[in-house]
Amino acid sequence: MSETYNPGRDRILERIRAGLRDAPPSPGGTVPDSAIFEPVLNARERFEQEAKANLMECLPAVDAVASAQNLTQVLDSLPPGEIFVQDDPTLRRLLEAARSARPIRWSSQGAPSEASQATVTLAHALIAQTGSVFVTTACGGRGASVVAPCHIVFATTGQLVPDLETALVSAAREGVLEKQSFACVISGSSRTADIEKILVQGAHGPRRLVVILQERN
Amino acid sequence: MNAPGPTRAPITRSPDHPIAGSSLTPAQRFLRDAAEKSADLVHREIIRKNMESYDAAHDKGRGRFKDWEAARRRCQEIKREAVNHLDKYLVQFEANVLAHGGHVFWAEDSAQACAYICDLAQRRKVKTVVKSKSMVTEEIELAAALEKLGITVWETDLGEYIVQLRHEPPYHIVTPAMHLNRKQIGDLFREKLEPGLSDDPVELMAAARRKLRQAFFAAEMGISGANFIVADSGAIAISTNEGNGRLTTSVPRIHVAVTGIEKVVPRLQDLATLWPVLATSGTGQPITTYGTLIGGPRRPGEADGPEEFHVVLVDNGRSRLLANSEEREVLHCIRCGACLNACPVYRHIGGHTYGTIYPGPIGSVLTPHLRGPEFAHLSSASSLCGACTSVCPVRIDLHHHLLHNRRDTVQAHETKGSERLMFRLWRTVILRPRLYSLAGGLGRWGLRALYGLGLEGTVFDPMREWNRRRAPVPLPRRSFRAQWKKENRR
Amino acid sequence: MGYKVALFVPCFVDQLLPQVALDTATVLRRIGCDVNFPQDQTCCGQPAFNSGYWDEARPCAERFLRVFREAEYIVCPSGSCATMVRTFYPELLAASALHGEVTALVARTYELSEFLVKVAGVTDVGATFPHSVTYHASCHGLRELGLRSEPLDLLRAVKGLELVEMQHFDECCGFGGTFAAKFGSISEAMGVSKADNISAAGAEFVTAIDPSCLMHVEGILAKRGDRAKTIHLASILASTGAGA
Repeated sequence: MSETYNPGRDRILERIRAGLRDAPPSPGGTVPDSAIFEPVLNARERFEQEAKANLMECLPAVDAVASAQNLTQVLDSLPPGEIFVQDDPTLRRLLEAARSARPIRWSSQGAPSEASQATVTLAHALIAQTGSVFVTTACGGRGASVVAPCHIVFATTGQLVPDLETALVSAAREGVLEKQSFACVISGSSRTADIEKILVQGAHGPRRLVVILQERN
Repeated sequence: MNAPGPTRAPITRSPDHPIAGSSLTPAQRFLRDAAEKSADLVHREIIRKNMESYDAAHDKGRGRFKDWEAARRRCQEIKREAVNHLDKYLVQFEANVLAHGGHVFWAEDSAQACAYICDLAQRRKVKTVVKSKSMVTEEIELAAALEKLGITVWETDLGEYIVQLRHEPPYHIVTPAMHLNRKQIGDLFREKLEPGLSDDPVELMAAARRKLRQAFFAAEMGISGANFIVADSGAIAISTNEGNGRLTTSVPRIHVAVTGIEKVVPRLQDLATLWPVLATSGTGQPITTYGTLIGGPRRPGEADGPEEFHVVLVDNGRSRLLANSEEREVLHCIRCGACLNACPVYRHIGGHTYGTIYPGPIGSVLTPHLRGPEFAHLSSASSLCGACTSVCPVRIDLHHHLLHNRRDTVQAHETKGSERLMFRLWRTVILRPRLYSLAGGLGRWGLRALYGLGLEGTVFDPMREWNRRRAPVPLPRRSFRAQWKKENRR
Repeated sequence: MGYKVALFVPCFVDQLLPQVALDTATVLRRIGCDVNFPQDQTCCGQPAFNSGYWDEARPCAERFLRVFREAEYIVCPSGSCATMVRTFYPELLAASALHGEVTALVARTYELSEFLVKVAGVTDVGATFPHSVTYHASCHGLRELGLRSEPLDLLRAVKGLELVEMQHFDECCGFGGTFAAKFGSISEAMGVSKADNISAAGAEFVTAIDPSCLMHVEGILAKRGDRAKTIHLASILASTGAGA
């Protein structure tokens, strides 16, 4: 049990219970899921469409060679400096194939530093409905998807799920938040419209979100 | 590492408008500010442009749903279930947070919430705090409490940061700096951040990013709100676009999440509807850039993350509102801001005029319950047009609640004696058709005489409020009933 | 057609805008209704109700119910007054001895355009009004009674009438009853915004189903010498083209 001294807890709960004495019984959900959103018919197509609208860069790749080429291309477009990479065998292979001369800080060494020009991570899933990348702390930690100006995600078409409902139901069933302390559904680069409602890309988070989408083997 | 800090610590805003003459009641202050803002055409134009942009985005956003009305009904169901079984879901949420290594503190009021967080900050020797946007932290005046202890508090949401630098309260619950144009923000940043900046929003954001970066990495404590708290997962859910919420909850070693008790939702999958609906209603986006879920402090094996995670559940009058079964659904509010945007009164007087943390229709409904009868005037400052109700994504019957608030104020004898007398007289007349006809005829005759003497608009004119602002209403010689009687005598 | 209609005339129409009620009767008679005016009526109770004085409003509502007890169809040229009866009488009279009769009363009460289109099934009432007209969607009629198309269907069938759209046609004009008295500056500002939209639409007339909106907007248009004039829907429908 927590060390927190909580004198108000029982008083609040008592007030709530007393206040709800006349609460209606649970009516149950009456609105079917199918009523709310159009079904996603082609997840791949929808993902690419939404990612584009989200101002994300979605780079298709037929195989690992093509993925490495895409990665090289993106890294070459960035200012010189260190990159932070999720320590995972797939990404170790990918970085090796990309033959980048940049210094690499692996997630096993700790959090990304302010000097990182980009982070490279895997994803937990890709959500077609909203063109989102679903990450957890297992994808290199919390900072990996927000600290650097460019976040590069390596994912395969096998990771596509049609919609938020599917993604969240699976996440709950798999106990993602039991095992990880953090998860995030990311749908674009960071942005703000707080000044005159004008969209500015790149606020406190990355300015670029790149997804290298490889065909499932 | 200490934060390099600003040249002087940012001072917290008071929810009261900083105009001198604070011996006025909230109602008097409201009337004064409303009159001022109603006449301010520059202000009106800024709001109009903002709202035009929102309206277009909102229309487009609703069009993305197969059936927007079905989405609203689903969200209403989710919140109804959550609020009507609030104790069960809060206990479930708490158990899950504790199992993940987090702490949960139940605060009965602002003082308890602030005391817990201040005490924690002191024990952990916190010198700098970064904050992401949270209306409830404004409600409990947390920043002021921390600053009293000599702790520097940085608002990191761009809009909140801007109004913090101006020592102003937020103007709108979603877009805090809506009332400012780029030149005003440019002037502010040139004065407080870097002298050479232009008015280009991209440059201004970059300057804010540079400044706040230092704060993120120096702060020992990050304070966030929560858009939803998920019972089955023991997680808080935060919907943001800027990434400041992400950094606030990832970088400092202590994360404190402050939330109203009513923010609970039963299941993680409920967010599949709530997230798109919140984004659509708030800004017209299909979903916000970051839908963050935080279930606890850093776990063993994780690369980073706070060592401590605290959730502060704030009651502050909500359980009292919960007990009022007629008004209970007001607690379903997901703080999207759509009602503010739809409200013609808000569009003409702006957010600061309300003088409350929560402005607009939801603020007018909620504030008398949370803060007391001296805010009852807000429930009357509405034409009851119902636009708010028609846009509310959780289908709260907002304008009807305003009527209920008005009724409750009367029943608690909190209205002016002269008004009570007036309506008693009115009733007497209405119940007697002949007296009503006589009163009507005399009234018209009297006004015609008065205007004939040129006394229109003067202190003798009972219709002077009307006549000062509009051409006078024509005064017919005969009422309809008199004409009808004559025509139908045959 | 032969509907027996009892006119429900808002108190301020009776006293200040009698032509609206006269025109309502004209239109109803023209389509063959048998129109009568229960003389005993006074006010539906809305002013007191909206200000929170439900104990004062209740006896007025009960009185209304008794006055209109025998009426088959109750027709009112005001969206807000029809709303008072249809939407709010059930709640106001929940604790009254007469609460059992409220449902029946509600079922027989209509706003004018609603009655014409949905009950009598007519959109062409034989009117001629050769002018440009823009339509303001009064809030109660729109959001409480759900009247979106009915007034427009009637206007489109008027001979010679040119219907002009205005921006923000469904934004509140700012009258709001006692709101105009208590919060005059806001009411005025909202009215000015509405007047700006009316002027920008460039029509000769603005019409609505609520005479209170029109009274408020007319005052603002007239004060600034705007060319646009207000006219109630009933008056347009009653018009046979012999000048306006």
